[in-house]
Amino acid sequence: MWPNIKPYIYVLPTAGVLLILFVGGLIEGLIQSLGYFPAAGQYGFSLDYYRQLLSSSDFWDSLILTFRIALLSSLSAGVLGMFVSVCLFMLKRPGSGRKNQIWQRFFQLPLIVPHLVWAYLMVLLFTQSGWLSRILASLGWIHHINDFPVLVNDSFGGDIIFTYAWKEAPFIALMIYPVLLRIHGSWFEASRVFGANRWSFFREILLPLLMPTWISSSFIVFAFTFSAFEVPFLLGVTYPRMLPVLSYNLYTSGGLEARPEALAVNVILAVIVSILGVAAYRLSQRWSMDEQGGW
Amino acid sequence: MKRPKFFYLIAGFFILAIFLAGCAGQKGNEQGKSAGHPNVLKANWQDVLSQAKGQTVNIYLYGGSESTNNYIDNWVAPRLKKQFGVQLNRVPVNDTKDIINKLVSEKQAGKKDGSIDVMWINGENFLMSKKNNLLWDSFSPKLPNVKKYVNQNSPAIKNDFGEPTQGVEAPWSQAQFVFTYDSNKVKHPPKSAEALKQWVKQHPGKFTYPAPPDFTGSAFIRNMLYETTGGYKQYLKPLDKQTGLDNIVKALWNYLNAIEPYLWRKGETYPESASKLDQLYASGAVWLTMGYDPAHAANEVKDGRFPKSTRTFVLKDGTLSNTSYLSIPFNSPHKAAAMVAINFMLSPKAQIAKSDPENWGALMAIDPNKLSSKGQKQLNAIDRGKATLPSKVLANHRVPEIPAGYVDYLEKGWMEHVAKH
Repeated sequence: MWPNIKPYIYVLPTAGVLLILFVGGLIEGLIQSLGYFPAAGQYGFSLDYYRQLLSSSDFWDSLILTFRIALLSSLSAGVLGMFVSVCLFMLKRPGSGRKNQIWQRFFQLPLIVPHLVWAYLMVLLFTQSGWLSRILASLGWIHHINDFPVLVNDSFGGDIIFTYAWKEAPFIALMIYPVLLRIHGSWFEASRVFGANRWSFFREILLPLLMPTWISSSFIVFAFTFSAFEVPFLLGVTYPRMLPVLSYNLYTSGGLEARPEALAVNVILAVIVSILGVAAYRLSQRWSMDEQGGW
Repeated sequence: MKRPKFFYLIAGFFILAIFLAGCAGQKGNEQGKSAGHPNVLKANWQDVLSQAKGQTVNIYLYGGSESTNNYIDNWVAPRLKKQFGVQLNRVPVNDTKDIINKLVSEKQAGKKDGSIDVMWINGENFLMSKKNNLLWDSFSPKLPNVKKYVNQNSPAIKNDFGEPTQGVEAPWSQAQFVFTYDSNKVKHPPKSAEALKQWVKQHPGKFTYPAPPDFTGSAFIRNMLYETTGGYKQYLKPLDKQTGLDNIVKALWNYLNAIEPYLWRKGETYPESASKLDQLYASGAVWLTMGYDPAHAANEVKDGRFPKSTRTFVLKDGTLSNTSYLSIPFNSPHKAAAMVAINFMLSPKAQIAKSDPENWGALMAIDPNKLSSKGQKQLNAIDRGKATLPSKVLANHRVPEIPAGYVDYLEKGWMEHVAKH
C-alpha cells in the first residue's frame, strides 16, 4: 500500500492549500448564501435568497447582459488571437527569426497592462470629455465635446467587449502559438503540391489542430470575463449591471441582510462557469479524438 | 487506471473539515464585544497617556479626498508623534463600507487583535456597526477634550442619523451638502428642486448626479426627497413606524424621472461616483456638480482642477448636514493610543487647523462658543476661499439628515423606480 500512497503525499501540500483557500472560500460562500451568517445573528439555512434572486428581474437582466458580453468578448478575443498567431506563423520564414520575435513580443504587449489600467485608459481617452474628444474639438473637427460619439459607458457594452478583446487576444495567441510551432514549415509546401492555397491550408490543416487548444483558451477567457468585476464596474452603465457588479452592489449597499443574496449571485456565477467548463472540456476532447487521431 | 480512492478520501475529509470549521468556528464569539481592555476606560487620563506611548494607531478612513489625507498625514500625524509618542498610520479605503466588511470578517473569524484602531464613520455605517456589535465601549465621554469643548447635548451631535451615539463614537467633523457651479456659465443657480427642474430643461445635458448607492448621489436624492415632499419633519420617526411611505416617496421618483431625459447622456447612465461627476464638471461636460463638503470646491479650485469662477450654493429651504465621528472597533489592539489620538484630534488646535483650507477646510465638530477668545479669533481669521460659502449662510440653510434606515430604502427605490425606468 505504501508505494501507492506516496504520490498523494507529495501533492498533499499543494492540494491542501488549494482545498483550504479555494474550496474553503467556495464553501464559506455557499454557507452564507444559504442564510447562515452568525456575525449578523442569522443561524437558519434556507433557499429564500435564491428564490428571491431568481424571481427578480434585476437578476435576469444582469444574467443576460453578462452572457452577451462574455460571449462576444471571448469570441472576438478568440478570433483576433487566432488571426494574429496564424499571421505570425505564416510570416515565419527561415532567416526571419529575429524580426518574427519582435513582432511576437509586440503582440504580447497588452498582456502586461492590467485590466484596471486599460479600463481607466478607456475612460481617459474615449469619453465625451476625454482626451481624443477634446483634441478633435480644439481642431474644430467636432463642434462641441458632447458631439463626440458615446464610446464609453454605452448600454450595449461595446467598451467592455473592446477592452476584453484587446486584453485577451494576446493570451489566446500565446496559448495556441506553441501548437503552431510544432507544425513543420514543409507541411505547407506539401499541401501546395496537393493544390491547397493558404486559406485551405488553414482550414484543412491548421484549424483542426488548433481547435482543442483554441476552445479551451477561449473558454478560460469566457469564464474570466463572465465573473470579472473591475472592467464592467468602470465601463458599464447604471442599469442593467453585469452580475459581478450586481453582487458587489448587493454586498456593499444597505445592511448585512443583503449579504446572503450577494453570495447567492456568486454561487450561481460559479455554478454556471463550472457547467460551461465541463461542456468545453468535453467538446475539446471530442474534437481531438475525432480530428487529430494520435497527434 | 486504478481509482485513486485514497485521494478522494483525503479530499472528502478536508472538505468536511472545512465545512464544520466554517459552522463551528463562528459560534464561539457570538457576543462579539471583546472582554479585553476594560481597564483603559477606568484608568485616569495620565495612565492612558503612558499606556499609549510607543503604540501605533491604524486609522481607517475614506481616502478619496486629497485635502483630508493631507491633513492627517502632514498635520495630525507628526504632532501626535511628537507630543504623545503615538504613531499614526493612515489606511485609505475606497468606501467606508469596506471598513465595516473588514470588521465583520474579523468578527466572524474570531480575531481578537484586529487591524483597525480608529475609524471615521457615520450614518448607516454607524447603525450597521452598532447593530452588529462591531464597536467598542462608551469611550467618548471619558476624553478630556470632549468634556471640555463638545456640546454633548446638541441633537446634531448626540444622534447620528437619528441613532443615539451613546458615547461609542466621538464627533470629529461636520459637513453640509452644497452644489457647485461655474459662475461664468450659470448666472442664476437654481436654489430649489422646482428651479433645478426648469434649469435642467433649459440646459439639457448639463446636469447629472452620481448613481446611488454612491454616498453623494444618495445624499442628493435625500435632499430632493425633502424638497419634493414637503420638508424633513415627517421623516424624523424611524422607518418601521412610518406608514404609507411608498405613496409619499412617489413624488420624488416622479420628479427624478421628469428631469431624467434632460440629464447628461439623457439619463441613460449616471456617473458611478462623485469623483466622476467632478471630472465631468472640470472638463465642462456638465455645469453643476455637488458634494457633501462645503470646502471641497474651493480646494479643487486651489489645486487647479476646477475653474477659478467656481462657486457653491445651498438650497433656499436648506441642504443636508451631518456630523461624522471617530470610533474604536471592538477588537482594536491599541485602545489607549486610539483614545489619545482621538482626543488630540478634538483639541481646539487640531480642529481649528482642520477648518483651515490650507490643511483641509472641514467644519469643526467642537463648539466654537467654547473656544478661548484667542481660538475664536484664529477661527475667524481663516480665509475660506471665494468658492466656500460663509459659515453663517451655511448654518442658516441647514436641514438634519434622515434616520439611517431610510437611506437603504431610498437607494433601493432609486434603482427600482429611476434607474430601471
